[in-house]
Amino acid sequence: MQPAICVKDVSKRFGRKTVLDHVSFDVPQGVVFALLGENGAGKSTLIRSMLGYHRLDRGTIEVLGLDAAKKPLEIRRQIGYVSDAPAMYEWMKVSEIGWFASGFYPKGFLERFQQLAQEFELPSQTKIRDLSKGMRSKVALALAMASEPALLILDEPTSGLDPLVRRQFLESMIDRAASGQTVFLSSHQIHEVERVADWVGFLHEGKLRVVAPLDQIKTALTVLTFSQHDTVLPLPNVLAADHILYQTQSGRSWRVIIAGWSPLLEAELTRDANIFDVGTMRPSLEDLFVAFTRGNESLELSPQLLATCSSTNTTQPVTF
Amino acid sequence: MQFRIDVDNGISIYEQIVRQIKFSVAEGSLVPGQIVPSVRELAKQLALNPNTVQRAYMELQNENVLETLRGRGMAVCTGAKRRCIGDRQILLRDRLAGVVSEAIRSGLEPDQLREMFDKAIEQATKNKEPS
Repeated sequence: MQPAICVKDVSKRFGRKTVLDHVSFDVPQGVVFALLGENGAGKSTLIRSMLGYHRLDRGTIEVLGLDAAKKPLEIRRQIGYVSDAPAMYEWMKVSEIGWFASGFYPKGFLERFQQLAQEFELPSQTKIRDLSKGMRSKVALALAMASEPALLILDEPTSGLDPLVRRQFLESMIDRAASGQTVFLSSHQIHEVERVADWVGFLHEGKLRVVAPLDQIKTALTVLTFSQHDTVLPLPNVLAADHILYQTQSGRSWRVIIAGWSPLLEAELTRDANIFDVGTMRPSLEDLFVAFTRGNESLELSPQLLATCSSTNTTQPVTF
Repeated sequence: MQFRIDVDNGISIYEQIVRQIKFSVAEGSLVPGQIVPSVRELAKQLALNPNTVQRAYMELQNENVLETLRGRGMAVCTGAKRRCIGDRQILLRDRLAGVVSEAIRSGLEPDQLREMFDKAIEQATKNKEPS
């Protein structure tokens, strides 16, 4: 099946600053894909490039099989897009903007917009300029979803929204995904992403660190905690430096995020006379976020490593 | 039934759904024949990716806890209660093993631990209402 989005070796510079650096990945159809990264990592530039807003210095992007550089209008017609700061005609009423937008889409748009507006409890006779931030975002989402696009792209959709509105956004995304449509979002709301995303990509300083199913990354990496009796001694060799993604030390205790960990290696570590109190945990998305943005940049989570790791099961703590 | 999903507790989300449904069946708050929410409903209710819920339901189907009722959705299997009680005991045994090994590592002597254990049992059975 053709991927919903196909990014091939994309680079983009603004002046001397490289914002995207040889970025390549595919977004399969029918998944919820979350792009994560700090502020300024290049997420919005990448999203805007998918819609053909930027001329790339290198590489190509295909969205639903269409070249973003050559057919941006065709792409915008077929997808739904909510930017981080949706620009709308301020003087239009909610009902008017739905009617106005329906002119660009096939029949049925207006009815679905009205239905969504009702679900989102939008006041149809209020002007856009008089709406709160949450209401404006909901108008933008209703406009993006009314054409029932095969692909919905959301740039920081829930930032600055109250928990109730965020929840409505999540439910809408889940609805899209449940009916087989693709959702691509960038977000800082780690806990939300952890609940809704099947796939994640980490962007750090314009480079893509990893793209994979979230479950696969979590299985491939283990949070390992242990203490050392004597901190002057080096860490044992069983902790292969080239498998360590991120490590923090506080006094005698260590917390290490490591790839390819196994019960066998754990037994070996436990036998080390200088090591005590060994524990393992499945990483949370927050652990991964910190690890991929701050950690060892030379560790590449190749598809091979991800595949081999998912067969060796890490021991999970049995709590509820 | 009510679910409580915690994305930070180190257990995969789908496993949390599986366990909570099994626990509900074991306790009797879900009874054999009862229809569970559809994948889409539950995904929306818990704000979770539908594939995660789907995976949990598939595992519950494989373990004969849930079954498909044609055209009506998924329901709890007859005989699921006994299996769920068994699974719950296995989970409890593992948790207890975890606590015991932590206690030993922290330097408690087996006798001290036994004493603590006996006290805990005493406390728990005292609080339990007579049935």
